[in-house]
Amino acid sequence: MANAIITARGIGLDLGGVPVLRGVDLTAAPGEIVAVMGENGVGKSTLLRCLAGLHSSPRGEIDVLGGPPADLPEFWRHVVQAGDEPAWYPGLSVREHLELMSAVQRDARLTVDEALETFELSARSDLAPLSLSTGQRQRLSLAMTLLRPSRLLLLDEPERGLDTGFRQRLAEILRGYAAEGGTVVMATHDERLAQDAGARVITLRAAS
Amino acid sequence: MIPATARAHPALAYLRAHRGRPATWSDRYTRVFGLLVAAAVLGRPVADALAGLARHADPARLGAGLALVAAAYAGLLALARALGPVVLPAADAAWLVTSPLPRRAVLGRTVLLLLSAAALAGAALGLAALSVFGAPDQLGARLAAALLLGVAASVGGMATAVLGQQSPASDARLQFLIAGAVSVAVLAAVLGAGPGRRILAAVAEAPASLGAAVAGLASVVAAFLVRRAWAALDRIPAREILASSTRTARVTSAATLLDPGMLTWVAEDVHWRGRALRSRPWPRLVSRLGPAPALAWQEWLRVARRPGRLAALLGAAALPAVCADATGGAIGPAAGVLLCGALTAAAMCTGGVRRDGGDPALARMLAVDGRAATAARSVLPALLAASWSALALAGLQATGALPPGAWWALGPAAAPALAAGALRMARRRPVDHSMPVIDTGGGPVPTGPLLWAATGVDLALLGSLPALAALASRPALVAPYVAAQAVAGAVVLASYILRSSRGNRT
Repeated sequence: MANAIITARGIGLDLGGVPVLRGVDLTAAPGEIVAVMGENGVGKSTLLRCLAGLHSSPRGEIDVLGGPPADLPEFWRHVVQAGDEPAWYPGLSVREHLELMSAVQRDARLTVDEALETFELSARSDLAPLSLSTGQRQRLSLAMTLLRPSRLLLLDEPERGLDTGFRQRLAEILRGYAAEGGTVVMATHDERLAQDAGARVITLRAAS
Repeated sequence: MIPATARAHPALAYLRAHRGRPATWSDRYTRVFGLLVAAAVLGRPVADALAGLARHADPARLGAGLALVAAAYAGLLALARALGPVVLPAADAAWLVTSPLPRRAVLGRTVLLLLSAAALAGAALGLAALSVFGAPDQLGARLAAALLLGVAASVGGMATAVLGQQSPASDARLQFLIAGAVSVAVLAAVLGAGPGRRILAAVAEAPASLGAAVAGLASVVAAFLVRRAWAALDRIPAREILASSTRTARVTSAATLLDPGMLTWVAEDVHWRGRALRSRPWPRLVSRLGPAPALAWQEWLRVARRPGRLAALLGAAALPAVCADATGGAIGPAAGVLLCGALTAAAMCTGGVRRDGGDPALARMLAVDGRAATAARSVLPALLAASWSALALAGLQATGALPPGAWWALGPAAAPALAAGALRMARRRPVDHSMPVIDTGGGPVPTGPLLWAATGVDLALLGSLPALAALASRPALVAPYVAAQAVAGAVVLASYILRSSRGNRT
């Protein structure tokens, strides 16, 4: 694909001598949503980490935004990764986490108020993130991810902790992001989410 | 249904029987032998130290000594309040507290441990107080009175803390007691050298019978408080015990895994969890300065949100002067306290750096350039360290420990190096227990924890060498040292910023 955002061929990775990924191919174009599915332990999260440049030496060729991925600020200016819950900054409220993102990232895609409303956090905006429920913290994580401008989203199980209603909302939000030209690669167990988001599904199989 | 008043409930008896193996004769022999060896080894030094107490008090050191004892007492109570004090192992907290078993029986073991810990700490405090006030006559009576007073104060304080767990009104009384102890420490430090000296000297010269009477009265009050606390045990809400037990379990696991960095993390989470905050927008000026200052602004916000901590830090600026006073003008311990305090002031506002060091997920999301972020994040630590050390040096000079001159200027000059040290401390990785253990004449030394403890302090020490040299030699003209310190501080911070990027965490 000439204008692909991600081109990965023959990715392989062993962890502790155990093969986790073997010969995985993945391409993603601008405006495309790719859902990586498969059983627990087939390497979905590991694949995302390889695409984010967080594994030092995977086998195969990985090209993200025209070069190999690297854990450097220049790379993260275009790419956002959201996986496990981040370590929230102590003493900052939900709103202030979003304010911080908005102040650091100029040309934010959403205003802070829009993000609070979209992710249904307005009523909890003055609480510390640790006072929120698991699902609300996941929404905050997604709100921070989608507030800032980016070209590629790498989402690891974005549906984690979300209720059914908000999963449908998330599918809409991701479709909106893709319609603006952004690319999404998400590891998920939720077929409905993948379907609602209009994602191309890639199913991984165990490497060993 | 299990009767709530049952004394030795079968469930508790079962748990007791299955907790570890029963003590054998060999265990008992080892314990007794250990106690005898400890008594043989420590007997002579303790006896010598006690005999050394038979002297008149040094009026010059009375204020500072009493200040340190009162501060230690306040610290003990604050620690008890922060930890619980009534806590249980995680499994007991989860299963037994919410069961219909009589709560007093479930908590009995913990209470016994608390009582022993409080009695030991109280005895130490009593001895410390006696070493400050001296024993001009009747050493035995004064020693007994001091020990009794210390134990009564400590046990009474612990009982108040237990009562505080049961009701907010009692918690307010405990906070009042802590504030009182802090006030005594401050008053003793400030007035002890001046107008308060006569009062303290009069206390030191008071007859032993008066001390015994006060100790007796304190014991009666302590016994009353213990009785009330024991009665209140049944009414401590389960949620309080569960919350304190979870908190203490995390702290204990951090301590047993020898990862003290986790303690700060836990303390921060405990403080902020469940608090409603008044959200503030980022100031436009800060946002206009660029991404790095916008990222660093959170530290300013956090410091402003804890005025009590800032006030305590400001009060602690008197500690080097108090220390110099208590040691008769010796500069060594005072310089140590000065360096520790200034580094603490700088480290107080590195919470965001610590989070990013432990889990870089948010830092990646924010995508701020590493060097610019480090430079912006060093401003507040440097400012706090500069203000604190300037105040502390001015205090030291006021006690006469330093000759005339602009000694305070050493503080701002050393501040950049202290900020670099604090940032390095905040970014250090957890303790590496796979590092080798070196056998020395004094016993085995684990290098992992040692390296961990030295990370950050090394940079602060290196960058503050001119200031430390000035304090050690106390020259008549301090200006050349200030100039050298300013250069050293700037060089250390600049090198640290140049070296910092995400891949290079420390």
